Amino acid sequence: MAFMYQAENQRSKPEWGNSSHVIEVTNVTKRFGGETAVENVSFYVPEGSIFGFIGPSGSGKTTTIRILTGVYRPTEGEALVLGTPPSKFNQAKRARLGYMPQLFVLYPNLTVWENLNFAASLYGMSLSRKKTLKEILEFVELYEHRGKIARNISGGMQRRLSLASTLVHDPELIFLDEPTAGIDPVLRKKFWDHFKELQNQRRTLFITTQYVNEAAYCDLVGVMGMGRLITIDTPDGLRHRAYQGEMIDVTADRRLDYQMEREIQEIPGVIRMLERKSPNSVRLLVDQAPSVMPEIMEWAQAKGVDIKEIEEFIPPFDDVFVKLVEDQENRG
Amino acid sequence: MGNIIGSLIRTSAFLRKEIIEILRQPKLILSLVLGPFFILLIFGIGYRNEPQALRTLFITPEGSELAQQIEEIAPNLGPQLIYEGVSYDAEAALERLQQGELDVIVVTPADAYDTIRSNQQAVFTLYHHEIDPFQVDYIVYFGQFYTDIVNKRILQEITAQSQAEASTLQEELSAARESAAATRRALEAGDEVAAQQNQRQLSQNVDNVSLAVGASLGLLSSISNTIGPGQDTESLEILGDLDTVQQSTNELGDSNSGSSSSRAQKAAEVEQDLARLEERLVEFQNVPPDLLVSPFRSETKSITPFQPTPSIYFAPAVVALLLQHLAVTFAGLSIVRERSLGTTELFRVSPLSSLEALIGKYLSYMLFGGFIAATLALILVYVLRIPMLGSWWNFAIVIAAILFASLSIGFVISLISDTDSQAVQYSMFVLLTSVFFSGFIMSLDLLWEPVRIISWMLPATYGSILLREISLLGAGIDLLLLAGLLAIGLVMSILAWLLMRRFISSSRD
Repeated sequence: MAFMYQAENQRSKPEWGNSSHVIEVTNVTKRFGGETAVENVSFYVPEGSIFGFIGPSGSGKTTTIRILTGVYRPTEGEALVLGTPPSKFNQAKRARLGYMPQLFVLYPNLTVWENLNFAASLYGMSLSRKKTLKEILEFVELYEHRGKIARNISGGMQRRLSLASTLVHDPELIFLDEPTAGIDPVLRKKFWDHFKELQNQRRTLFITTQYVNEAAYCDLVGVMGMGRLITIDTPDGLRHRAYQGEMIDVTADRRLDYQMEREIQEIPGVIRMLERKSPNSVRLLVDQAPSVMPEIMEWAQAKGVDIKEIEEFIPPFDDVFVKLVEDQENRG
Repeated sequence: MGNIIGSLIRTSAFLRKEIIEILRQPKLILSLVLGPFFILLIFGIGYRNEPQALRTLFITPEGSELAQQIEEIAPNLGPQLIYEGVSYDAEAALERLQQGELDVIVVTPADAYDTIRSNQQAVFTLYHHEIDPFQVDYIVYFGQFYTDIVNKRILQEITAQSQAEASTLQEELSAARESAAATRRALEAGDEVAAQQNQRQLSQNVDNVSLAVGASLGLLSSISNTIGPGQDTESLEILGDLDTVQQSTNELGDSNSGSSSSRAQKAAEVEQDLARLEERLVEFQNVPPDLLVSPFRSETKSITPFQPTPSIYFAPAVVALLLQHLAVTFAGLSIVRERSLGTTELFRVSPLSSLEALIGKYLSYMLFGGFIAATLALILVYVLRIPMLGSWWNFAIVIAAILFASLSIGFVISLISDTDSQAVQYSMFVLLTSVFFSGFIMSLDLLWEPVRIISWMLPATYGSILLREISLLGAGIDLLLLAGLLAIGLVMSILAWLLMRRFISSSRD
């Protein structure tokens, strides 16, 4: 399922280099007393993108999102959101932001509708907003439950209500702090469908998550660990960065002997053999899979070897993430 | 214009939200309205405006004559003394006191007569087993009160005895008048010997009258001099009359003082003087001894429109205290709860200003508090029949001011509290302070003046006084007190706003 979305991303991937940046973070550090929560973080978020901020619990994701929304002031460095430091946001600028906190922070004694209505009022939305509220509740599939008291609905519904409250005023820059935490995979997929839909409406989304495989849904991914930004790249770029290349699995009709192994590794674009999966099959690390695969086919033809299967191996993001974090730790 | 409308919409968000949250708790509303009503109702039914009756046992020395007198006097001393008898066994009595079977033991003086003869007061010692200072004060008062009654009884007896002695006066006067008549008759008959004899008898009688009159007149003269207009002219006139009679009597004895007929004439005058004297002295003899001992009593008359019962008197203070507590607690929990929920994080990111949030909350709680106050006031006036002698408008203004000041205190509490329980604790602290210092249970006059500063920092103090004045005295609003109440509200609301600004509007370091 993740790969399907990756493919979609690749198809719709915009040219981020040409987009203007709605968020620019330069050498931002945040300390609480003697504790450093975020250290020397720099990145930018292009307009209209989904920016994923991935990392384990306590890695500084929420602190970063709070700096960007103006809840915290950075100890060092500078953050510009919509061209303004968050601490200097005026009301008009705040109205352009949507923020969904990590936990359910709405009123448990109000109904779904009343909570959404309250959120709409917070943003000064016109009183003739019934239609908008209805639409947004339909969007998150909560309209049928609008009369239920918030404390009595499920955790998943509460997350959807939070999302509806974040989107009710039609913000252009949306911060979502672990929106899919603690919810089942089906609902998680629905959430990402919503996010993609929002992106299609040219909104920018800044999303933190602990689910590493959700990186596949993003256009750009920042990987956080121990308060530091380990790396930032597109999902494919991250894989490439983790393994210093791409991976191809090659399966032949016969045993690939030592001589053949050596010759394959000498094909231009092949970096090295990573592992022998079976006597007939090997996994190779290559520079660019699409350009190397024809070279391998050519070599096989010349050698009279029949290649049964050749395909790019896409490692799961969990592995990519672990590799990146381990490398970072090894580098000290 | 758009900004103003947006601001109004944001403010209304809190107004609506708070009201909905409150309305979703009907039990809370019911308890807030009916709770104080029932408290006052039960208080009104249960409160007895009478001093407590104390079970009292008297201890006398064995064989003391006092025992019999106590048995005669004590059972009739009054309703506050429940006579439990006389005992010689002090230890057993103390044991009973310890076990709560008695309230007071009165130990009578062992040798009262000798003590008084040696110019000292004899002492009744009262033993009790109380730790409540108010109850101890009551027992001290109880002892003084009944000792005064005993002293008065003794004085009454002495006075009655004096009056009984004075009743011989009438006999002496009759004898004197008889002697004067006999003297006159002897003089008219020319019997000088009999006249001299009767004159001597008359002189003796007049001396006796003079002695008896002196005692009665002395008592009345003392009263007149101590508490009356000063010199008692009537007594002086009587004494003057008596002096004239004495002189005339002495002249009758002198045979050279005139002819028999002129002396008979003088004897007739003495007779008349004695008759007049007798007439004037009878009224003094008729004065009851308890009146002579207690010539005064007091009567109390209030110039207030009416005299409230204790439950009526407390009703306005209950309303003020309840509204203060309600407002402080609701406001106290309001923001800290949002902080616990994490909702304030949303506020910080949204265009909401601290002022909009505060005004919305003020309006919602003012509306709710106003509704509770109105319902409570209507129930008190139309069900408990607590009068509303003043203007309802003034009453409403004071209610609004109490709510404003109390909400401001509550919001400050909410903004300085880290948790719900801390806010509840602070609210209870304000309530407890109000119970002791707002004049609710005791008059502010009983507090040391510097301590009264605390009283004047509490909305309930102003509220109780203002609501009492309006509803029970029919007075207008005391503007100074209203200004004080509003000043508390203003200072605390500015503080709440500054704290709220720090809390919502700006980024944290």
